[in-house]
Amino acid sequence: MKRATPYLLLFPALLFTVFVLAYPLAQNLFNSFHSVSLVRGTGDWVGFGNFEKVFQDAVFWLAFWNTLVYATVGTVLALVIGLAFALLLNLKIGPITSVMNVIYTIPWVISPVVAGFAWKWLLNDNFGIVNHWLVSLGLINEEITWLGSADTALACVIIARLWQFYPFAMVMFLAGLQSIPHDQYEAAAVDGATAFQKFFHITLPNLQSVTAVLLLLGTIWSFNDFNIVFVMTRGGPINASMVLPVLVREFSFVQFDLGKGSALSIVIFFLLISLSLVYLKIISRREPE
Amino acid sequence: MKRTAVILLLLVLAALVLLPVLWTFATSLKPLTAVNAYPPSWTSPDMSFQPYVDMFFFMPFATYAVNSLVVATIATVLTLLFGSLAAFAFSRFQFPGKNIFLLILLLSQMLPGASVIVPLFQLLTTIGLYDTIIGLALTHTAVLLPFVIWLLYGFFCCIPREVEDAALIDGCSRLGALWKVLLPLALPGLGGTAMFAFLGSWNEFFFSLILTNSDTTRTIPVGIGLFVGEFQDVWNQMSAAAVLFSIPPLLVFLLMRKTFVKGLVAGAIK
Repeated sequence: MKRATPYLLLFPALLFTVFVLAYPLAQNLFNSFHSVSLVRGTGDWVGFGNFEKVFQDAVFWLAFWNTLVYATVGTVLALVIGLAFALLLNLKIGPITSVMNVIYTIPWVISPVVAGFAWKWLLNDNFGIVNHWLVSLGLINEEITWLGSADTALACVIIARLWQFYPFAMVMFLAGLQSIPHDQYEAAAVDGATAFQKFFHITLPNLQSVTAVLLLLGTIWSFNDFNIVFVMTRGGPINASMVLPVLVREFSFVQFDLGKGSALSIVIFFLLISLSLVYLKIISRREPE
Repeated sequence: MKRTAVILLLLVLAALVLLPVLWTFATSLKPLTAVNAYPPSWTSPDMSFQPYVDMFFFMPFATYAVNSLVVATIATVLTLLFGSLAAFAFSRFQFPGKNIFLLILLLSQMLPGASVIVPLFQLLTTIGLYDTIIGLALTHTAVLLPFVIWLLYGFFCCIPREVEDAALIDGCSRLGALWKVLLPLALPGLGGTAMFAFLGSWNEFFFSLILTNSDTTRTIPVGIGLFVGEFQDVWNQMSAAAVLFSIPPLLVFLLMRKTFVKGLVAGAIK
């Protein structure tokens, strides 16, 4: 009895994990080797047919590269901005700092759907304030259809994404900055180090592990992100801003091809697992136990 | 001088950061004629809260709001209940397979909804829970559980075992000790966790979008997310809905800032 206690305690949670993890993975595997249609139900074994369909689909490759760009560029920019904001807040210029800290964190608190919505409206070609300002300032000659043109759509969703993610980096960097021992700076000051030297030889090296964690987490989360892109562009125009999570919905519930959708899910799963394992490696190195 | 420059910079950045939020809020107060006027401007002479009333007639937002509340409440109660049992097991017992379970928990947090959605859809359809409130609430519970367990695990580990051992000596059972000693001590942590679970479900969009298909089951984010594509011109009412929907997360953040930030950071790192 005593030995069974922990398992009994875990049982309900385990049941749910099976429901969202074990079963879906198994079923996905099954689906991906069968022809499964949302309308006609499950059909024959098709071998790697669904995977072939995915890999031969030009949209998959487009979405694959878009997702990589969306995840990496968005994350790197968010980290740079987050660090800049953290450094500014760390100057601790009076009580305004804590008010600004709250304000700068707000984008992170807002639901992704609302964030996507707000950016979409802000960038609206005729009635959005961004176009109006840019035209008034003479920076552009006529209104740009930011989300409606293939050249700018991806950049716009990346901006919205980084707007949502940078506060997380800021909070983490701020905590990191505040944990750097003061004597390091004092010693550097005694040796006559300039502000630049202090930044590159003390601040940045001390933030190394936080940066690594943020880079990976940010990449993983953005890689998984469906919301911003779906709300702002639905992957359009003509798939110019298509990312993999939105494409799964497209294959499965718009093209009604659950087999193809499942095959793509499996591809995403393996991409993600490899990223996650790297992440686990990094955090386990950080906290040797 | 340098101080003034920094303050100025901070203020400019604040305005930039808040731009989407402020623009949405301004829009939510304008009549439709002002929203679709060219050139766009921040204010209009006849601003009012009328769009906040109209939105309820334009879309079934009252139903969506009730659905969101019910789903989030069920998900919060279930995740807290099952989560504390699991966290109790992890923090107080040594058992074979423990590390594997913890690893699975961690990995499942990294997994995108997109990689499990098709089978979930099939499963819910098969057992008759597709497009139902309870199906959605159970899905949210499952999705949020790993995060909740991690958070609670962290809180439980901080409570010294001696307190419980004392209770055990006094004749309490293991579960009795959890209920009477551990939970009350972990109450602040539980409160924070409940808040996260609630907001997690409140904001959840992906599963809610795909696993519902009618106005009687949709939640607010689905209403907003779908609505953006379909009715382009009523931006003022959409903005009003977006503002109302954002109040709970914003309030929680402003009132419990320390817990909020700490929890998100802890949940992400652990």
